[in-house]
Amino acid sequence: MADLRLVLVTPEKTLFDRPVASIRVPLFDGSAGFYPGRAPLVGRLGVGELRLTDGNGVSESYFVDGGFVQVKGAQVSVLTNAAVAASEISRKESAAKLEEARATRAISEEERNVAVKKLQRARALLRMASKD
Amino acid sequence: MANARLLVKRLKAVRNIRKITRTMELIATSRFKKAMDRATEAAEYTKKISEIVGDLGRASLSFAHPLLEKRTEEKRSILLVLTSNRGLCGGYNASVLRQTVAHVREMKAKNVECALEVSGKRGIKFLNFQKYPLAASYTNFEDQPAFAQVNELGTRYAEDFIAGRIDRLDVAYTRFESSSRQIAVVESLLPLSSLSTGTDTAKDSGIEYEFLPSAQEVLEEIVPAAFRAKLFKCFLDAAVSEQIARMVAMKGATENADEMAGSLKQQYNRARQAGITSELAEIIGGAAALE
Repeated sequence: MADLRLVLVTPEKTLFDRPVASIRVPLFDGSAGFYPGRAPLVGRLGVGELRLTDGNGVSESYFVDGGFVQVKGAQVSVLTNAAVAASEISRKESAAKLEEARATRAISEEERNVAVKKLQRARALLRMASKD
Repeated sequence: MANARLLVKRLKAVRNIRKITRTMELIATSRFKKAMDRATEAAEYTKKISEIVGDLGRASLSFAHPLLEKRTEEKRSILLVLTSNRGLCGGYNASVLRQTVAHVREMKAKNVECALEVSGKRGIKFLNFQKYPLAASYTNFEDQPAFAQVNELGTRYAEDFIAGRIDRLDVAYTRFESSSRQIAVVESLLPLSSLSTGTDTAKDSGIEYEFLPSAQEVLEEIVPAAFRAKLFKCFLDAAVSEQIARMVAMKGATENADEMAGSLKQQYNRARQAGITSELAEIIGGAAALE
């Protein structure tokens, strides 16, 4: 089987650089899954869960905050502003963030866009939160 | 004759200072290593960004983006000055501030309004003393600037630029060339001159990519990302350079203290010997007088 290598980079550091069996990334309009042998692709990411399964069928999740994905041969590079392992997301904190996002008042069009983005981000975070 | 007691006191003071500078040197060395590691990790991101930009180049589309547009008439600009919060780092802050002042003068000559935004207590103090009006000042960027913080700034600048509130953005910082060479520069970040942050973007990968949603939209998203990565790199470079400057300055200070301690010790020994000799002479003189 051809293998797949996931490289997850943020501006601060490379979080992940390992071979995996399959990857699911949050594209701008929904989830997309990659298996080995995917045709080359460059895509815009949305906010949400990046899920990867390694050779033994164990899966891991990361929260990614926008960015890009590039598939080139066996290598999948995910560039994102921020990535957090799902095991490190606290439910309490993300709930607080959601409350904060809900409380944001938006008057102009621009502000509304920002507020909606904030809300989406908080919802995605909360959905993935695994610990209290 | 020098006072022996005074010399002992001074010698002790010099030795204590040497201890401090030596410790600071060691701390700066370890911080430098950490900052350097961060900078290398960040380079990976910029490399990938320029790789995707290179791929986009093949898609033959117009590289038009508001952040890339050069304004025909420049009226308002922002100069972001990156200095350190702490001193004792040789000419690090002075050289950045020299560049800053020169740039402000140049902008004034060109009749461009220049708002100063300063990061670092040293720069804020100096510019306040020189009575330059500061539009904003930050002291929250330590030797490990976080991307989230830089991102906030970057987003604001990009918005201001697109909305036409500013026509250019420059950053005065110390660029890291190698561990033995750092230069204070004023770099123009907006309008973005080129997307390629690395050098080898022209390399053609020869792969036909599928772009989601479209090459144009990926481009629209990647230009701000490239800008933010560039801004972040400025902060990282400044942090690395600061630690190197401090390391070098403290190394010099330690060596000076060593030299000073040596000469003081010599003076003390001479003074002590002179004292003994004169005492002996007195005793012998007294004994001779009694005979």
